Order: sequence, then structure tokens, then C-alpha cells
Amino acid sequence: MWKNSSPRCLLALAILCLRNLMYGQEIGSPGDPQNLKCVTHNLHKMLCTWDVSSRGRHGQTDFCYTTNDLTPQVCFKTKERRVEIPIPESSITVRIKSSGTAFATREFVIHQKDISFIPVTPHILSLMPDFPTSTLNLEWSDNGSVFPYGLDALWQIQILRKEAMEVVTQVTYYSKLTHEDAILSWSWTSDMPLECTSHYVKIRCYINATQFVGPKDWSDWSPEKVIPGKDTEPGGSGVFPLDRVVPVGSDLVFCCVHEEEEHIKNMTYGSKSYTMMQLSRRSHAIRVLNASVSNTSGTNVVCRLENGLEGSVVFVGYAPDIPQNLSCETPNFLIIKCTWKPGRPSGLYGERRTKYSLFERTSGKNVSCEVNEVSRDHVCGFPVLPDQKTYDFILGVYNPIGQAQSSLLVDITQRVHPKAPEKLTVTGNNSTSIQLRWFINGSFAETRLLCQIEISSSHSERKLHNISIPGRKSSTYTAQLNALRPDTKYQLRVRCSAADHFWRWSDWSRGLEQTTSEAPPARGPDIWRERSPSGESVIVFWKPLSLSETNGKIVSHEVSCYLLERLLERKIVSEPSNSTEIKLGKSDCVISVVARNHAGSSPPSRITSVELPSDNVTTDQAVAMGNGINISWDSYPNMTCGYIVKWCHSSGSEPCSVDWQKFPSNTTNAVIKSALFKPGVRYNFSLYGCKSMGYQLLKNITGYMKELPPKTAPNFIVEETSSDSILVKWEDIPIEECRGFLKGYLLSFAKGEKDALKPRLSESGNPELKVNNITDLTKKSMKIFDLQGKTSYQLELQAYTAGGLSPPNSLYVVTKEDSVGLIIAILIPVAVVVLLGVLASIFCYRKREWIKETFYPEIPNPENSKALQFQRNICEGNKTLKTLEMNPCTPNSVEVVETQSTAPKIEDTEMMSPAAETTVPEDGSDSEMENHIVVSYCPPIIEEEISNPPTDEAGGSSQVVYIDIQSMYQPQIKPEEEPEIDLVTTAGYKPQMQLSISALKIEGHSPVEEELDKTAGYRPQANTNAWNMGTPDSPGSVESNNENASFGSPCSINSRQFLLPPKDDEDSPKPINTGWSFTHFFQNKPND
Amino acid sequence: MAAAESPSAALRRRDLCSRGIRLAGKMRADVVDLLDAYVEQQGLDASASVAAVEGVPLAAVERWDEQTGTQRLLENLAAYRAFRALLAQMLEEQREQLGEADAGLGRALAAVLLQVSAFAYHLEELLRLESRGIPGEEGDEEEEDGPPPPPRLSLFEQKLRGLGVLRELAQWAVRSVRDLRQLAKPSLATGAAPSLAESP
Repeated sequence: MWKNSSPRCLLALAILCLRNLMYGQEIGSPGDPQNLKCVTHNLHKMLCTWDVSSRGRHGQTDFCYTTNDLTPQVCFKTKERRVEIPIPESSITVRIKSSGTAFATREFVIHQKDISFIPVTPHILSLMPDFPTSTLNLEWSDNGSVFPYGLDALWQIQILRKEAMEVVTQVTYYSKLTHEDAILSWSWTSDMPLECTSHYVKIRCYINATQFVGPKDWSDWSPEKVIPGKDTEPGGSGVFPLDRVVPVGSDLVFCCVHEEEEHIKNMTYGSKSYTMMQLSRRSHAIRVLNASVSNTSGTNVVCRLENGLEGSVVFVGYAPDIPQNLSCETPNFLIIKCTWKPGRPSGLYGERRTKYSLFERTSGKNVSCEVNEVSRDHVCGFPVLPDQKTYDFILGVYNPIGQAQSSLLVDITQRVHPKAPEKLTVTGNNSTSIQLRWFINGSFAETRLLCQIEISSSHSERKLHNISIPGRKSSTYTAQLNALRPDTKYQLRVRCSAADHFWRWSDWSRGLEQTTSEAPPARGPDIWRERSPSGESVIVFWKPLSLSETNGKIVSHEVSCYLLERLLERKIVSEPSNSTEIKLGKSDCVISVVARNHAGSSPPSRITSVELPSDNVTTDQAVAMGNGINISWDSYPNMTCGYIVKWCHSSGSEPCSVDWQKFPSNTTNAVIKSALFKPGVRYNFSLYGCKSMGYQLLKNITGYMKELPPKTAPNFIVEETSSDSILVKWEDIPIEECRGFLKGYLLSFAKGEKDALKPRLSESGNPELKVNNITDLTKKSMKIFDLQGKTSYQLELQAYTAGGLSPPNSLYVVTKEDSVGLIIAILIPVAVVVLLGVLASIFCYRKREWIKETFYPEIPNPENSKALQFQRNICEGNKTLKTLEMNPCTPNSVEVVETQSTAPKIEDTEMMSPAAETTVPEDGSDSEMENHIVVSYCPPIIEEEISNPPTDEAGGSSQVVYIDIQSMYQPQIKPEEEPEIDLVTTAGYKPQMQLSISALKIEGHSPVEEELDKTAGYRPQANTNAWNMGTPDSPGSVESNNENASFGSPCSINSRQFLLPPKDDEDSPKPINTGWSFTHFFQNKPND
Repeated sequence: MAAAESPSAALRRRDLCSRGIRLAGKMRADVVDLLDAYVEQQGLDASASVAAVEGVPLAAVERWDEQTGTQRLLENLAAYRAFRALLAQMLEEQREQLGEADAGLGRALAAVLLQVSAFAYHLEELLRLESRGIPGEEGDEEEEDGPPPPPRLSLFEQKLRGLGVLRELAQWAVRSVRDLRQLAKPSLATGAAPSLAESP
């Protein structure tokens, strides 16, 4: 079998060798050791594994390998199918010989690129939860010691949550492997409290061995480490997280862990309920987004269960703000006080409040600060360190949410702010000086102090005295104040600062009051003297010294009288008298006055009692200055020792008090001022000149400090009145009420009735107002001319000064009636009437023939009377010929113009009827004659032609136009009046309501009808009483008159107003609107 | 309790009772006001049901009408001593948690604590009048060993406990008024139980 097969074996061997040459990797045949795989975990050695056929699984395997031809082959026996051998630099030849088979030897050539690099599965050393912060702390070893050189390692960490192990996050952690085993750590903060549900962590790694050419891969995942949630604990329950402090704006997850059988009703954050999400059968959670700041006690998170509630409190606030305005100073070189403003409140209080610490970098000393949370300004103290002037402070601020800091470099010798001086006392004083002592707590030995003493009194303004004194350690300091006024109460206080580098003043010390002792008065009083009216004695006056001169309380004045150095009299006058009387008789002396207080006497003031005679003493007026009185005088060369202006103040009933003022010789005017001067009060001044021999009265002056308007108006009366003039007289105003020098009077007058409500004349704006200015003060009366008779006038009189006008005094006066005018008013009408009568007589005489023919023909025939003819045409059947008889006819009037012309002239063409014609009978009379006949007419609404014109042979039918002035009114006809209307119709009038019967003829008139005619005629359609003319004396009560007054006037078609006033004739009543009376003739105003 | 009470002792007891009633009435009013302020300041629901607070004796008791005067006094005293301790603890916690932020509530708490202390002292006076020994306080007895510190409560639990303490204190104030009224009756001068149907 072998012989036959040897060629084939050789062939096979050759092929195998060829193949081995071609691929160079695996030598052997199928069924032998195969699938050799090599994996390294540490880049030093690799673990090679292979597969063998089932025949070779049991038994020993010879394993040989060699890296190259130079190195000896390494062989060893193994029963396993895996060996660990070094990683070759390039390749390695491996021969595996399984025991018991001839052809079980396989040779593999393994190149480095065929070796896989898979790191060892990492092992989690520890997983620690931090429940308050929901943080997981993971620790593991990197096994760096097993790697030959430093490599980059990547660690993949996976967090899983819930029972279902949902992946929450997966992060990659980078590290550098060193030659040593290092423990790596990583923290992860969960957005969900760790108590809410179980959390799992696993890890794997990848080592980036760049020089290793073989395939590299991640290690396997490590076994999970678990942090069990509270929902896995039996009986675990509650709301989580507990008492957490978080920043504003955080997104928060709260969970409620409960028993499995319990049911959650709701979960609230603050007062708001949130939708729950289930974490497990025993755990539910809510998510709160953008949390806002909590109140002081925190925000409650409440989980309401069916049987009770669980809860937690969360505090939402801000991280501390950076401290602002950090400033440090020392009050005493023992402690440094730093102050700052905390900025935005954190919203956290109590044990979560913001805490402060002061760290000094130079010394490394740190102090914690106890600050008042509520206070706006925070203060922290730091001890002054020996031999250290400059301090580099860092103010650290922190709270559970965050921290901040602020720094300040300060030289405390330049930041000295001492405390207020204490124990301020006076150690000594006299009339002009005070010695003060005070104490300042602090160690100021190495600096100077600048102290400021404030001194004030009621008589002077506040003054500040600065003194620089060397500082000492907790010592007292003294200072002396000089140049003070005697007998003055001073208020004193002190404050200090550092003198070398001023920073801030201390607060003021407590105030201290001290009064200096008295001193003799500084000078003698200002004195004056006056002879008594009898001349037997001299009254000596003196002015009180000013407070700055008294130097104490003045107790008395000593008045002495010397005649040639011989004392005639001495008087001690106690305060508060400021005058005394010395009886000298007719003799004179030199008067000396000395003021005394408890400390001594003033220098004496002297004055002679001699008064030189004077002549031609005039009285002048002074000029008021508003705040004083300006007095001027001529220069008197003889007056060698000046002038004295003396005046007297009087107040009420008390005698006036003498006052005076002295001026040097070169003065010729002065403004006298006094607090006692009052505006509007007259003061009398006397100007004295001073000579060596005595004083001489030069002149008297009166004046006002300020002139005011007179207080009252002058009283005045009307002395005499005529029809065109008034004589007014007035009296002087008393001096006290003048309140200024009187300049004149203003007499105003205008027409006006007495009326209490009328304004003053001067204010009335009356254009007729006339004003007389009387500047002659001697004049006490005035006559006003050119007035109107029987007219009321208002008179006002005012006095005026430079200060203004006095209030007015008013009078009303009525001038007398003008008799001449009355006579003229009577005579003129009489004369006119007489003249008219004469003219009428002349006319009648000249026209006597025509009159006779017309009115009194020789054969009396009424038919020939044109007037009667006309009357018949209008109202035929009337018994009488009364031209203005209104009864038979309707009360309207029609003016019929009868002229000689054939065509009648009718003024109002509107009133002309197109059909009716008025024929005027021929008349041979004067062409000027026009017959104005007023007849009654009945106004129709419609112009209507008389359908049945009268057949009067005289042919003098008048054309009458009827205009209804009350067209709106319908005639109110009673049934029993109808026959009357019929008759009226026949007379030419057709009332608009009776057109159908207008054709009736008038021939058939019976006497009864005639009688009816009297009462018939047109009735106005309106109540004529309402047509009153509106004048008080119109005869509206008389019906007939009323009608007559209304009718006969043309009226507007559009209105109902009469265009012409009612025409009157002799028989008609007097005009209605008279309103005029004879007396009116004399009055300017008709209404008056 | 003395079987036969002297007239002056009876007067004194009645006086103490009436003053105690006034004290309890005032305390009740103040506690009710404090409850309102507390609920608002702590952000709690006024209607929230709170489980019985550990260490607080309940005001409601069975067979109240069968209690003797001394029993009433002793129960009252024990309750107010407990309240005194609890209120002091509340005050301390309040200061710790709020600092100076809400001084008004702290002052009100301190005022009620003072009233509770005064009332406890008043009860001791009454007990002395009844010739009864004053029981020592628990804290005194356990001073040497010291009780195990109670587990620290969460802030929410502290809030709820405070609510429970104040509610129960308000109840106790009412009960104390009724107890003292019972005690003020002359028939209760002895330790015999009254036969009243009244119940707190």
C-alpha cells in the first residue's frame, strides 16, 4: 500500500510544501490541530488557542515555537489547547504535535497582525452613592502595570436604571496608563434621586496601542454594580430628595416611594400638582422645571397617599452674590472692621444662609464672620496683627449653592476711623477760656490725632477749632479754647480723626454745655440827657449795652454829676431802668454813667447837661426808606463834636421812650433804623449839634419808616346841590390815620343810583367816570359843574400818600330838577296844537265850498254822501255811519285808499285781488285829497273775487283785498250765527267757510236780518284777546278796542305779526303802546 | 387629696382654678393664632391630617368624667411638661432653620412656650394645694444614662410635628379649661370622681 502510494505521497508532500511556501501560515492537514488563534491582553504575551479533532482531544500535545532561525525552538508539552507565549516582534512559527498520530503535527506561522489585542475586563473596585447629592462615585483599577509602556485607555461606563435596566447614560472616560496600577474614579450626578429607584453601573475598556498592528477591541463589560433604590427596601417610603438646596432655575425630579399596595393620590410641589411618572411599582416621580426661589421655610413637596402623606422640603435659592463696597478701617488699631454690602439676597436662611469668612493673605489668618442676615450692611472684625500695617483681605462668601469672594488691600494707618470721644469734661475755665478733656479708646501711639472742637453759643455761629495732638494708647486728651466771651453759655463737642492720613471723622462726642465767668462791662453805656420841661432837673438816659459788651449780667448803673470835678450828686440805678432824673436847678454839670455787673464797672460815659439856645428851628420831612428813615441836614461847621438825632418811641398809652443816635461831625445825613419803627407811623426827630460847650437843637424832622395808604377816607359832605352842580366839602384825616405824608385827594363822580352791590367807582369801569385830583391840601371843598338835572350821582373821595390811595368814601346825590326845561316841555306842544288849529281853520276856510258840497249839500241826500255810499258798499244795512263802527262787521280792518285816479292805489300789491276793482267816485276836489277810510274786513284764506259785484250805480265800488292774518284758524261759527253769515256774505265778504252761500243776494233783507247784521259780520278766527300789543296800558280788556287795534294792519304771510301798527283815528282809543309820559320828556333815558 | 378641706384652702383652690382657666383660655387663643401663622409660614395645608405626634399625650381620653381631680391635674401636668419640651425644641429648630428671617413666628412660639411653662407651674401649685407630691420630670430621672437621641427628622417631618404639637396643645387648652372647671366645683374638693356626663 505504501509502495503504491509513495508517488502519490511525494506528490502530496510536494504540493503541501508548495502550498506552505505559498501561504506560509498553517502547516498540516485538516483534522489536525487547527484554528490557532492568539489573543493578547497585555501586549507582553499572547494566549493562543486551537482546535483539535476528536481523536486528539485526549492526550498530551507537544507545542513548539520559534521566532526566527537564530533562536532556538522552545518546546513544551501541554494537555490543554491553549498556551501563553510571548508576542513575537514580527512572526512566530508554531508547531503543534498531537500525541498518537503521525500526521498530527501542525505548524503555524503567526504574524503580529494576526494577534488580537483585547484588554482584560475591568473590575469595579467600588461604587459609592451620595444620596444627598444624588451622586455615584465609581472606582476601578486601570491595570497599567501589566502594559509594557504608557498607553491611552478609554473607559466606557454605562449607567442603567430601574428594574428593566434602562440605559440612562453612557460616557467615555480617557486615561493614560502608566507603568503602575492606578485607581481611577468617576462621579456622576443623577438628575433623579438615587433613592427613587435602583441604579446600575458597568464598565469596559479599550487601550489604544498604536504600535500594535493586530486588531484591537473593547474589553468585555464588567459585571454591573447596583445601588438599590428605596423601592427595593422593605418598608422604605418617603419623598426624595430630602431637604435639598438647589439653585434657582434648576430642573428637579422628586419621587415618592411607597408601599406596593398603597395608591398615590397626587404629588404637589408647593401648591401646584404635577403629573406623575412611574419608576417602579413602588416609586413615582414628578419633574419640576425652572424652579423659582423658595420662601424662608422652603418649598414643600408632598406626596398624598390614601392613608397619610409623605413629604420633603426643597430650598431653592441663589448662589452668593459678590460682596460689594468692601471697605476696611480700624477704629482703635486693635481691630479692623470690614464692611460690605451683600448684594442680591440668596433666599436661603438659617443653617443654609450665606456665610462669610475673612482671610488675610499676608498672615494667612482666617476668621469667620457672624453677620446679621437681615442687615443691609455686613460687618466683620479682624484683629490688628503686630507689626503689620498692610492687610490683603479676601472676603469669602459661600452657601450650599455656591461661593464668591472679594478682595481688598488696605493700609490701616490710612484707614483710621476713631470711635466717638468719650467722657468730655471741662477741667478749667475763666471769662475767656475753657479747658476741655476727653478720652478716646484705642491704641493711637504711633499716629497723630486731629481733633475738631465745635463751639457754639446762642450769640454766635458755630465755630470749629482744629487741634493736632500726638496719639496715645487709650488715653485722655486735653485742649484749651481761648478768646471766648465772658458770661456766655457754650455748647461744646469733639470729634477726632487720624492727622497724618485723614480718612473719616469719628462721630461727635456727647455735647457739653459750659458758661464762661463774667468780666467787667467792656465800655460805658451810650448816654443822653434832656432838661425836664420845668428846667429844674435833667433826665439822663442810657442805652443798654449789647450782649457782647455787658460781659455779664448788668446789675446797676451809677450816675454821677460833676461840676468842675466836684461831685454834685451820685445815683445808683438798678436794672432794668435806663434813665434817671437829677435835680440840678438851673445849673449844669457833667454827667457820668457807669454800668456795673458782678465782675466790676465799665469805663464811664460822660455828657454835659448844657443846652445851647437855638433859633429858627424848622421842621422838615424825612424820606421813608422802607427799612428806615432817611434824615439829612446841612453841615454846621460849628458843631465840632458831631450830631445827635433824638427821637421818641411811643407805644400805646405808655410815655414815649427816648432814643438817639450819634453821628460824627462830617455827617450830613443818616438812615435811622430801629426795630421799633413801624410802617405808617409818624416819628418826630430832633437834630442836635454838639459843641464843646454843650448841645444845640438844630432842627426838627418828621418822617415815616414806610409810608402807607391812609387808613380811612376823608369824611365829606355835599354842601350844596343845584340842577347842574354839586358843592362837596371834606374834613382833614387825623394824623394817625394818614400813615404817610398826605399828597392830595381824588374826587371821582359818575351817574349812578344807590346800590349796595355796585362796585367802587374806580373799579366799575364806568366810561362816564370823572376824576378830580386835588393836590392843594389846604383846599377843603370843591364844586362840580356840568351835571344834569334831577340825576343821581355817585361821588367818591379818596386821600392818597406816597404809600397809595385810601379806601374811598362814597356819597349819592341827586341834582335838582331843571324848571326851564319843564316849562319848555309844556309850551312847545301847546304852541304846536295852536298852530295846527290855525292851519286847519285856514284850510277849512279855503275849502269851505268843497266841504259844504261834500258834507252839507244844499239838498241833503245821503245818497250823495260818498262816505256813506262807501259805507253802504261795505256793510250795507248798518244803521249808523260810524267810520270805525266795529260791531256790525268783523273786527279786521282794511285800509281803503280812495284816490281820484281810476285805478285805486293799494300799497300792498300782494293784497290786490285780480278781479275786484275799487272804483273811486269822481271827485272834483283837490287832487291831493285822498280818502283813507278804514273799514272792517273779514280776512279770508283765499283771495276771492266777489262773484256778485254790487250794482251800486255810484260805481264807487272799492276793491278790497283780504289777507287772512290768522289763516291757521278756522272760523268758529255757531249754528245760530249762520243767518248772520249769510247776510254778511251779501255785503261783499265771503268767508272762506261759506263759499256755497256767497251768491245770496241782499235784497231780501228783513228788519230782523238787519238786526242780525248788527251782530253779524266776520268773527275773527282767533281769540283777539291774544293779540294784545303787550304794553301795560294797552286797552286789551276792551274787546272792541282790542279788535280795532289788531285789525286793519297788513300782516306778513309768513308770520302773524302786524306789519303796520293799528291805525287810529279820532274815535279809536288812544295808542296802546304809549309808555311815554310827560315826565319822560325831561329824562335822558326813556326807561328812566 | 384631703378629705376635709378648710375654707381657706377651698378658696385658694377656686382662685387658682379660675386663674388657670383664664390662663388656658388666653393660651388657647394664642395657640390658635400661632397655628394660623405657622401653617402659612411653613407652607402647609391647614387641613392636612397629621398622625399623632410621639411624646404628646392626647387630650381626648376615655372616661374623662370618671377621672378624679388629682388624675386630671397629673395628666395636665404631664401634658404641659411634654409641650414645654416640644415647644422648646420647635423654637430651637425654628431658629436653626430660619435664623433671623422670620422673627415674628419665633416670638409667637416663645410667647406660647412661656404660657405653657406658666400653666405647668400653675398646675403644680394646684397639686401642692391638693397635698400631692409633684412628680419629677422625665428628663431628671434619666439624666445619668440619658435617653437615646431621637432619630433626626427630616424638615418636612419637623414641620408636621410642629403642626401636630400646636394642634394638640390647642386641644389641651380646651381640656384644661374643662378640667379646671370640674376642679373648681366644691363637690370635687375630694378625690372622688364626679358623676358628670360631660366629656371634653
